[in-house]
Amino acid sequence: MNKEFNTEESTSVVSRRDFFKKTASVSAVAAASILAPASLLGDDENIMHHTKWGTSLGKEVNDNPYGLPSKYEHNVVRRTSPLMSSAGDMHAAISMTPLHELNGIIVPNGLHFTRTHNGVAEIDPNKFRLMIHGLVEKTIVLTLDQLKKYPSESRILFMECPSNGAAEWKGPQFGSLQMVRGMMSCTEWTGVRLSVILEDLGLKPEAKWMLAEGSDGSEMSRTLPIEKVLDDVMIVYAQNGEALRNEQGYPVRLMAPGWEANLCVKWLKRLEFGDKPWYAKEETSKYTALTASGKAIQHFYALETNSIITSPCPEKDWSDLKVGDLVEIEGLAWSGHGTIKGVDISFDGGKNFVEASLKGLVLPKAWTRFSYMYRYEGKPMLLQSRSYDDSDNVQPTVNQEKKVVGVEGVYHRNAIHTWAVDAKGGVTNVQVRS
Amino acid sequence: MFKLDRKSILMGTSAIAASALLLSGCMGGSASTGGSATVGTPSTVGDYAIKNKTAIDGGVTYARANGTETAYAYNQQSTKGVNFGRPATANEIKAWDIDALPDGSGLPEGEGSVELGDELFEEQCASCHGDFGGGGNGYPQLAGGNQAKDENGILITLKNQRVYGSTDAPKRTVGTYWPKATTLFTYIRDAMPYATPKSLSNDETYAITAYILAQNGIKIDGEEMDEEYVLNAEKLAKVVLPNNDGFYPNIDGPTAIEDIRTFFADRATNIGSGTRCMTDCKDPGGIDGKTEASVVKIKYEMSDVVPPYNTTRDLPPEIEDKSISKGEKLYNESCKLCHATDKMGAPAVGDAGAWASVMEKGFDEVLRNSINGVGGMPPKGGNDDLLPSDVKLIVEFMIDSSKEH
Repeated sequence: MNKEFNTEESTSVVSRRDFFKKTASVSAVAAASILAPASLLGDDENIMHHTKWGTSLGKEVNDNPYGLPSKYEHNVVRRTSPLMSSAGDMHAAISMTPLHELNGIIVPNGLHFTRTHNGVAEIDPNKFRLMIHGLVEKTIVLTLDQLKKYPSESRILFMECPSNGAAEWKGPQFGSLQMVRGMMSCTEWTGVRLSVILEDLGLKPEAKWMLAEGSDGSEMSRTLPIEKVLDDVMIVYAQNGEALRNEQGYPVRLMAPGWEANLCVKWLKRLEFGDKPWYAKEETSKYTALTASGKAIQHFYALETNSIITSPCPEKDWSDLKVGDLVEIEGLAWSGHGTIKGVDISFDGGKNFVEASLKGLVLPKAWTRFSYMYRYEGKPMLLQSRSYDDSDNVQPTVNQEKKVVGVEGVYHRNAIHTWAVDAKGGVTNVQVRS
Repeated sequence: MFKLDRKSILMGTSAIAASALLLSGCMGGSASTGGSATVGTPSTVGDYAIKNKTAIDGGVTYARANGTETAYAYNQQSTKGVNFGRPATANEIKAWDIDALPDGSGLPEGEGSVELGDELFEEQCASCHGDFGGGGNGYPQLAGGNQAKDENGILITLKNQRVYGSTDAPKRTVGTYWPKATTLFTYIRDAMPYATPKSLSNDETYAITAYILAQNGIKIDGEEMDEEYVLNAEKLAKVVLPNNDGFYPNIDGPTAIEDIRTFFADRATNIGSGTRCMTDCKDPGGIDGKTEASVVKIKYEMSDVVPPYNTTRDLPPEIEDKSISKGEKLYNESCKLCHATDKMGAPAVGDAGAWASVMEKGFDEVLRNSINGVGGMPPKGGNDDLLPSDVKLIVEFMIDSSKEH
């Protein structure tokens, strides 16, 4: 195993590291301050002199009535790739969350990943209407204000496109955490439990399925089983305390916790209850997972248990560490089937594992942070994380997943991810597979 | 009319069970026995989880009882009867409820020929989907692909598994992958053409649907779809696409929900799962089940990313704010504090009288004073970083903003 792993640092590794670290000076200063005895250190001019911001008047409190990040953070943005679009057209495309720059489990609204099928719709909230009809005892039409009058609930939930990681089925393709796994986010969503509305409307006995339909140009629609609808599906209008962003379906989207983001229909317009599934375009020609048998899995609802190490990663590597440094390995784990129970970490590409600690809030169907303190040895290694949840799911190896579903399924890839860390601390995307 | 009570909703471990409960509740008029009293505090929800009945997706269903659901608290008071909307009118439902099912129900009246479809496709679709729907422009390929099946009735092309770098992909067109033809009609009508969705009439949609089916060699009732073939709702409902049976688990008929539950209950067999091996783990595998795992590196990196990768924390390229002059911007930053009003003894910007007396000294003197300081005002208003040319822009702005209009 791992025979092909080359301990020598290849030129591509060097160039990639240079790519991310446009300024080496910061880490050089940091390194110097660690290596030199205190008596030999030069004085840091950032300490020895007054700063510009300490010797002048700051901006007025309302300079940005809607607050903005520091302008020094201008590189912390969503990124796209022509590979995740139609011929480079960015109306039916995906933009990826910069996971390498995030902390905790809440994604700021402006960095939430975005997937659209016909561009980002801009809806006039005054003209928004939600209709619920079909096999219900009474129909209903709601305005946005009326919907917000219903008792609300808030839940911290991840949202993940089932295509997350789809570029990697046949081998590693992207050289960054952001593009490898950024098709997901986690935020606090607020809205109304659909069961609360249905309690009043009354479902007819033969109702078995719900069609959720969007009002954007693609009229995105999907069928959900009523069991899920009555369990925990919400109609949400807020994320992280404010109105949904246009990119996330302003003013209203469906939230099916733990399930494909595609099922969480944006720019929601209509819910119809019926006795048969609709076979909408995005649950037939797309969002079905072709397996090696030649048949495809349909109605592939929940995102499986998954995890990825976010530090180190190609964008934030260990090239500024020296041997002997104690450093935290950190990452994200999540499962659409339930709650993360634990994460194991391997340093040798999956031969041996140790248990990591979970930290922070551990919630169902939400990102969960894991942590492991590691004494850096300056040796090449193959770093992996493997999550498991309270629903008896264990994250599979690439081979374990491939054996069952093949490599052409596009959707629901949750195989264990591997970062190769080279002798100088550079990190690249590799796969341990046959 | 009966109303669905929460107990019934949540006790139902399947739609069938829920239906049975609801029906009995309705007929017996017993919906209020315990149910309405415990609405919002549904101990039945606890039963739901305690029975360890898995969710339809194979996952966990969490108990909602005694005011908590996992880490979340919730209000246990009844929410039954909340209704802030109004019923939909018949016309409103008619306007929005235009979806269609595979059995043809919901399809509108109208018809269209393959010939008309050919014309429309050429004009409005081919630029993205390629001539004859053959793809090639980066957008989905709609027609083509070999529809030959193996001895088990599986399309052979769909069994293709690309090895890294190989190009022999499974073809996923309407003719080789899509299960239902009604989907084609509703999708074209609702979402196409891409830049002008919902601009096609029902007749035109039937025509384009007919053309795409014809390009895939689909026969309806054994009949070839030639140029003259005219498609309508009745005929579209009869289409059986080659890959109609190519999907699982079953989602049709009375066993659908339990079939789905059964499928997802065995995830290790059906979608793949790992094992929690901790030491000396072996991972031979892949589809052949034998080959030993090795480390695969990126061969062709997808590095064409927008905006380009960058993790530095520097100032962004200066973007010129054209809504405000440079003089005004600098004034706001360095001078406004004292000059916005006359409370601090400085001539207030906008006070024509005050500035008229300042300007009696002449512009050059005013500028000199601004740079060197005058009275209570420090040089450059206290901002040493300002260049003399900056101060000039500021003074010009202040004078200009203080003229009599």
